[in-house]
Amino acid sequence: MKAIKFSRSPLLSERLPPWRQRLVLVVLLGAFVALIGRSLYLQGFNNEFLGDKGRARFERVIDISATRGRITDRHGDVLAVSTPVRSIWAIPEDAQLAPAQSRSLAALLDMDVREITRKLASEREFIYVKRQLPPELADRVTALKLPGIHQKDEYRRYYPSGEVAAHMLGFTGIEDAGQEGIELAFNNELSGKPGSRRVIKDRRGNVVEDVESIHPPLEGRDIVLALDSKLQYLAYSHLKQALEENRAKAGGVVVLDARSGEILALANLPTYNPNNRVKLSGAQLRNRALTDSFEPGSTLKPFTAALALEKGKVRFDTAIQTAPGKMTIGTATIHDAHMHGVLTVAQVIQKSSNVGAAKLALSMKPEEMWTMFDSLGFGAPLKLGFPGEVGGRLRPAKTWKPIEQATMSYGHGISVTLIQLARAYQVFARDGDLVPISLSRLDTPPQSGKQVFSAQTAREVRAMLEMAVLPGGTAPKAQIPGYRVAGKTGTAHKIEGGSYANKYVASFVGFAPVSDPRLIIAVMIDEPSNGKYYGGDVAAPVFAQVMAGSLRTLGVAPDAPLKPLLMTSAAPVKEEM
Amino acid sequence: MSRAYAAPAQRAPAELDAFLLWPAVGLLLLGLVMVYSSSIAMAEGSRFTGNQSAYFLFRHAVFLCVGLVAGIMAFQIPLRLWQQAAPWLFLTGVVLLLLVLIPHVGRSVNGAQRWIGLGPINLQPSELMKLFVVLYAADYTTRKLDDMGSFLRGFGPMALVMVLVGFLLLKEPDFGALVVILCIATGILFLGGINARVFGVLVVVLAVSFVIMIWVSPYRRERIFGFMDPWQDAFGKGYQLSHALIAFGRGEWFGVGLGASVEKLFYLPEAHTDFLLAVIAEELGFVGVCVVVGLFALLVQRSFAIGRQALVLGRVHSGLVAQGIGIWLGVQGFINMGVNMGLLPTKGLTLPLMSFGGSGIVANCLALGILLRVDWENRQLMRGQQV
Repeated sequence: MKAIKFSRSPLLSERLPPWRQRLVLVVLLGAFVALIGRSLYLQGFNNEFLGDKGRARFERVIDISATRGRITDRHGDVLAVSTPVRSIWAIPEDAQLAPAQSRSLAALLDMDVREITRKLASEREFIYVKRQLPPELADRVTALKLPGIHQKDEYRRYYPSGEVAAHMLGFTGIEDAGQEGIELAFNNELSGKPGSRRVIKDRRGNVVEDVESIHPPLEGRDIVLALDSKLQYLAYSHLKQALEENRAKAGGVVVLDARSGEILALANLPTYNPNNRVKLSGAQLRNRALTDSFEPGSTLKPFTAALALEKGKVRFDTAIQTAPGKMTIGTATIHDAHMHGVLTVAQVIQKSSNVGAAKLALSMKPEEMWTMFDSLGFGAPLKLGFPGEVGGRLRPAKTWKPIEQATMSYGHGISVTLIQLARAYQVFARDGDLVPISLSRLDTPPQSGKQVFSAQTAREVRAMLEMAVLPGGTAPKAQIPGYRVAGKTGTAHKIEGGSYANKYVASFVGFAPVSDPRLIIAVMIDEPSNGKYYGGDVAAPVFAQVMAGSLRTLGVAPDAPLKPLLMTSAAPVKEEM
Repeated sequence: MSRAYAAPAQRAPAELDAFLLWPAVGLLLLGLVMVYSSSIAMAEGSRFTGNQSAYFLFRHAVFLCVGLVAGIMAFQIPLRLWQQAAPWLFLTGVVLLLLVLIPHVGRSVNGAQRWIGLGPINLQPSELMKLFVVLYAADYTTRKLDDMGSFLRGFGPMALVMVLVGFLLLKEPDFGALVVILCIATGILFLGGINARVFGVLVVVLAVSFVIMIWVSPYRRERIFGFMDPWQDAFGKGYQLSHALIAFGRGEWFGVGLGASVEKLFYLPEAHTDFLLAVIAEELGFVGVCVVVGLFALLVQRSFAIGRQALVLGRVHSGLVAQGIGIWLGVQGFINMGVNMGLLPTKGLTLPLMSFGGSGIVANCLALGILLRVDWENRQLMRGQQV
């Protein structure tokens, strides 16, 4: 360099030792070389180790939520669907809002300003401000551009049919998992499997980069129920009307397809709106048709008669003396509400005589009756997969006393659920066999089921049940124009604190059309308190309304001439209790 | 003179040292880009900056403009005047270091009281003090050139002054600035020909006192141990360093690309100040680190060359100032980069010319202006002109 040449000029003297400058410069440049070396090691050789450490800190595997399947009725009408919603969450530390910002947020979210302020003052790192907002509303929150306020995509379950099918469908919790009803029973199928992907997150948890998809989500399966929305609505609305008219505490209706065993409708009251579950009581939530057992009363008499016929103890027209309308067994006495004198077996059912049924029962062994009840499905849950389903009470035959055997013949001392009762009536609606009942739609209905009675017995009892709804029977109000109907009333005292109280459960179970039974409908009204409490007065009209509407809806061909119903020709026979 | 003869004479040698100027400008501009890149997420996500992503970019650009003006002004001032002003500047620096310790005058951030609030800006006296120490130590050495062999007259006064400055810096505390200032002062004394035996004793005394200072302060000791093995307590004491090392590892040869750093996304604290090099390493890779280190090496080499030329020209003060600036930039750059790479214990030292920080940038620009002035004066003298 020019400068060095110049400095070597002998004209100039240098007072400071040049070696010191060279030493300092060499030390400094040596330090820089060390930096290069260290950088080379870190970036070229130790990079795998450091990269792993980095991945351990930034990379996270996150779930991709699967969309929950829909629930539809048998015709594909949507009963439950997941709609996208957004939840507003916040990092309280970052969310320092000006008073005006808090107010506009509160106005959008329909919340109190003080509540928002309180939530944002939290010590936690993550809080929900409000969950499950409609996307349009959430967009307006985004537009406010508030610091520390974030959003998260979620799904919310929406039930278009509202309270009509509430008990059947159940509902999901805020985390989209089934908590009741079909939502719980079929939760695995409905919820699918979440997928996962690997992402890089910043330290505040925001995803900044997608690394890879590990596996895609398996979307939830749609569930097609056996339910028919139109029938469900009929069942629900007529039940609701009846409850109001009779000022009853609760009630239930079950509509079964007699051919396939599918549950076409199932309604309970009181109910709730699954879309707005703010104030719910246990009474509203209970799916009584499955979870509450009750003493069915006379609706069990046809089974007693059927067993007596099956065992050859009696024939259709065997005469039974029911006078004087009461009968003492051991220390207890059973009564008929009215004295009937000599009745045929058919008339015992038609008039619903307790004494007659007891005499039939006592002609048989307890084990025989127990076996029948057991094969009808009483005493054990139907295992529909429904949460909280009970089996009712059927005590072992060995423990039966004669008086108990007698009362069980007319439905006391035994308890069943409404769905069990409806299902058991398959034996009369069909030719003596039972098919399993199904919550979901069946593509191939079962041809025949478990034979409980012979076809002959079934047909004979069917005829008796048809007599019960004709003039002279207990339930002329169950008749419907154009169709032949068969069924049986039940009116049972409720047990309170161990003894029978002055409260009743009115019920009716029947089927139509008798010539080729298509539907079985069971109705139960709990504690009617508007003067009437007989099954024939309270439950039978509901049956008739639901049955008439359903048969018309399904387009079932009438099997009786359309003529005015014979109801006023004779006062209906009141059954015993 | 004929035109033909005059023309080559007018094509005079350059007035400025291109190998000094352009590397410095390069580092300043790369610093601006990297300060923006490393701070963008942090600025956007913080309510202190009003969620403005360009918060630090804007401020750093303003600092650079102020620094440019300051540098040009420094270039206008002859070294003779700088030498005359040196004791007064140094005194001013001491006063500022005293002021910063007064409660309500000095501002405290993260437990260190290093800033004096002047309306919208914060002045960091220790940054200016580095420049003042260069000027003062050079002036001192020039005046005592004949006493350099004597411990009492040569070394004693300077040692006393350094103890005072050191005491003030430790009060803040600003250990990093203290190390740099002591290196500058001892370096200039060494270059000024201080007695080798005295210097040896000095080095030993300094080394021992550093060890003692580190030993008695748990705060400093923790930092030392964190640097020894950052993975042992990677989420505690070693947190910052482990993230800086991860940034280097992720960068590999050519980096993840400008703007693509993950470390700057709230993981690496002080990414735009003390740990800027880690972000450079992650985004621009080994190549980027080499460019930065290379430019610094070039700056240091030019400072020493300019200084040597001044010394050869008999301008002792100018020469020592130039080489003192070289020591300053070299030592502080080395310590900062060494800290980033885990070679040295973590200290609060910025990367000269690059890191975010107004006082530092302006002080660096002043130093560059003075350095260019020394060179310019050298060139004038070699042409036989007066300065």
